[in-house]
Amino acid sequence: MSDFARDVETLRPQLLRFARAQLRNDAWAEDAVSETLLAALEKPQSFAGRSQLKTWLVGILKHKLIDQLRRQQREATVLSGGDAEDIDDALFGADGAWNEMPADWGDPEATFARREFFEVLEACIEHLPPAQGRVFMMREWLELDSDEVCKQLAISSTNLWVMLHRARLRLRECLQAGWFAQRRNPA
Amino acid sequence: MPAGGVVRTTSQPGLTTMLNRSCREVTRLVLEGEDRSLTLGERIIVRWHYRICEACPKFGRQVKLMRRALTRWRQYSESE
Repeated sequence: MSDFARDVETLRPQLLRFARAQLRNDAWAEDAVSETLLAALEKPQSFAGRSQLKTWLVGILKHKLIDQLRRQQREATVLSGGDAEDIDDALFGADGAWNEMPADWGDPEATFARREFFEVLEACIEHLPPAQGRVFMMREWLELDSDEVCKQLAISSTNLWVMLHRARLRLRECLQAGWFAQRRNPA
Repeated sequence: MPAGGVVRTTSQPGLTTMLNRSCREVTRLVLEGEDRSLTLGERIIVRWHYRICEACPKFGRQVKLMRRALTRWRQYSESE
């Protein structure tokens, strides 16, 4: 195996994690990553380092994922049971006021300086219910705008906003429980 | 109710009613603001609410932190 092929191969697990987080289907994720690696191996290029190679591979993967989402349009929008749960009812009282005061999350830069924070963030994204996770990743990782997401999944914008609303509230709860509740004031 | 006993406390009776929204509703707007641009009217509702509410501005700061965190995460996922 050439050095290039070996370098490409070492990035495979990371690519697979993103593909899984995006597609929420192991078989499709494997396909997208295989296609990405094949495309890369077909036209080997030299890179200054692992970081540049990763940027290039992630770029190819994102294109493959968008293609994949387009092909799987119908399946991708099926809502699973957990997604229907209304998270708002737990957060607000009958009068529409917060049941619990949102916590002070402190200095963002101090938080971002900790690598473990991003591991928690990634785990929280991976644990979003499938339909929410897919649209959330399309917005935040593939950087598609809302209209594009609606068009690709053939859903209404209201439907999209409801899913993203729930995804963002869940992410907030997960970060609160998994990170901020445990370290009030990062040093 | 007969109109006799009604006392108007403001010269624009409809305005505060229009602006006063619950935290639940303001939260919905703040989150939608992450995925579409809010109208001018919606932005005014949020600003107005932030002046009279202690909890929602805190929530707004959490949303802002999440937005910045996601940008960092995306950059970090593409290299390193």
